[in-house]
Amino acid sequence: MASTTLTPEAGAPEQTAVRSSDPTPRRRKSPREGGHWPWFALPAVVLVAVFFALPFLLNAGFAFSDWSGFSDEIGFNGIDNFRTLIDQEIFWPAVRTTLLYAVCVLVFEMAVSLTLALALESTTRINTIFRSLFFIPVLISPLAAGYIWKGMLATNGPINGMLSFLLPGTVETAWLGDPTTALPAVALIEAWKWSGLITLVYIAGLKAIPKELLEAATIDGANAWSRFWRIKLRMLAPALTFNVAVTLAVALMAYDVIAPTTGGGPGDHTTTLNIAMRLQWGQSFFGPASALSLTVAVLVIASAVPLVMWMRKKEVAQ
Amino acid sequence: MNSARGLALRSRTRQGLLREPRRASSVLKYVALTLFAIPWVVLPLWMVVVNALKPLGEAQALSLALPDTWAFGDNLDTVVNDGHYLTGLRNSVLVTIPAIAVVLLLGSMAAWAFARTRSRWLRAAYYLTTLSVLLPPAIIPSIYLLREIGLDGTRLGYALVTISARLGLVIFLTTGFVRALPEDLEDAASIDGAGPWQTYRHVLLPLLRPILLVGGVILMITVWNDFFFALFLLQGEASATLPLTLFQFASSTVDTLSWNLVFMHVVLTSLPLIVVYLFVQRRVLSGLTEGAVKG
Repeated sequence: MASTTLTPEAGAPEQTAVRSSDPTPRRRKSPREGGHWPWFALPAVVLVAVFFALPFLLNAGFAFSDWSGFSDEIGFNGIDNFRTLIDQEIFWPAVRTTLLYAVCVLVFEMAVSLTLALALESTTRINTIFRSLFFIPVLISPLAAGYIWKGMLATNGPINGMLSFLLPGTVETAWLGDPTTALPAVALIEAWKWSGLITLVYIAGLKAIPKELLEAATIDGANAWSRFWRIKLRMLAPALTFNVAVTLAVALMAYDVIAPTTGGGPGDHTTTLNIAMRLQWGQSFFGPASALSLTVAVLVIASAVPLVMWMRKKEVAQ
Repeated sequence: MNSARGLALRSRTRQGLLREPRRASSVLKYVALTLFAIPWVVLPLWMVVVNALKPLGEAQALSLALPDTWAFGDNLDTVVNDGHYLTGLRNSVLVTIPAIAVVLLLGSMAAWAFARTRSRWLRAAYYLTTLSVLLPPAIIPSIYLLREIGLDGTRLGYALVTISARLGLVIFLTTGFVRALPEDLEDAASIDGAGPWQTYRHVLLPLLRPILLVGGVILMITVWNDFFFALFLLQGEASATLPLTLFQFASSTVDTLSWNLVFMHVVLTSLPLIVVYLFVQRRVLSGLTEGAVKG
């Protein structure tokens, strides 16, 4: 499939050259049509500009303003919002928690989905059933996923029940209430929600690897392990970059899973930037809330955008 | 589409080189997959459904046993009446369906323009719109903006922000797809005298169906399940979507959650999407695994 989708693109210039005897040369016609096409992009571009790009730019302004629910005037106040947030020991802990959360989500999600993709790569009937099964969590809202796992991980919940059955003694860990386990636990819920989708992207990537390559390696005596490390993982680079970028971007914006499970607690151990942002917003401190929101944007840009650029460059190089 | 040849080749290697170890490891693989699937997917779903059918006292134990007393009707009643389920359902449908339709229509139109253009300005516009796939939407200024134009807290304002935030993804997926399509059909249509709109409607749109289906499902999942935007952009019980009604309902009990009712709400909130998904499942899974993302 990958080869068929790529060929027309790569082969296009040659095709035009070959068909120079074509009675209606394409070159002459295109500018005329080009005159119609731009209008097709207009509604989408306007919507994105007004309701996405404009707020994004405004956010950079609000982050340095004293906008609040207590006054109608909005004035510039420099870096006061950041200073206040740092003084109240909100800012750096939230940044640290957000980054730690994103790394946990990334590790869980990549481990689960890569393993599943390798196991379910070939399209057999039984694999299709397993793929559908592992896709179910993707359909469930992150909020609902939060409530489901709040039940699973409760002190008297099924996870502790299962561990008590397997291990000696009774396990009564409060996974979401203990400062050391709360963050990995919520990260696991986020990974649970998305791995089914990420698995499919990996399967698509695996299918794009030329079979001849793997067969040649097998004949040369490469075992499954070295076929994975030496060939599959390298050929998966585009899918891997895409998945890492998307996972990081989503995890850095985390809110939906945390709100129903820990609400940011215990203490502030799962207070990510967006949880802190909502708290500031709730107290009508719109300036500091914007500052936290801007920080999320900066983190996403700093981590995800270089990955995508790198991926684009690799694709062009190919 | 070398899959047939690939399969034949592979099965030959399997028979020739790796027959015996393959079979044993294959059994092991499915045992491992099943052992993983049980706590990962089966138990959570079972726990939710079975406890949604229990009366409060029984459900608080969070056991996986079948209910002693079945309380389906009572729980359903409470969720529909106190949980404002029907209001939430109506609002979710009213926001999700028009938003998806608009995003797919405007997104595919823009993708066509972007894929076929040679204009530098349009290319720049393309890169800017696709940036919105990864960038987090600025929620607070969106509220400010909606307040300025009088749409703050309304379903329309919420839908507008949702549409604008999701357009980038559909444009990104579809532009790659259009680029891989030969231009001949469009040329033929224009020689036959079809205008751009007719060409789009009768030539392009049918060709785009597979990618728009994938895009539509991703939109359905993200828009239907959206909680974060809804929390900020919708005000009042009358305009609350399902995730909001679920959150308000679960947060209304002060000390501990009533698991039976929360789970009943979770089941009812997730059910519409699961039902719709069942209908398109086969085509979506194959669409996603056949490299839709690579486009």
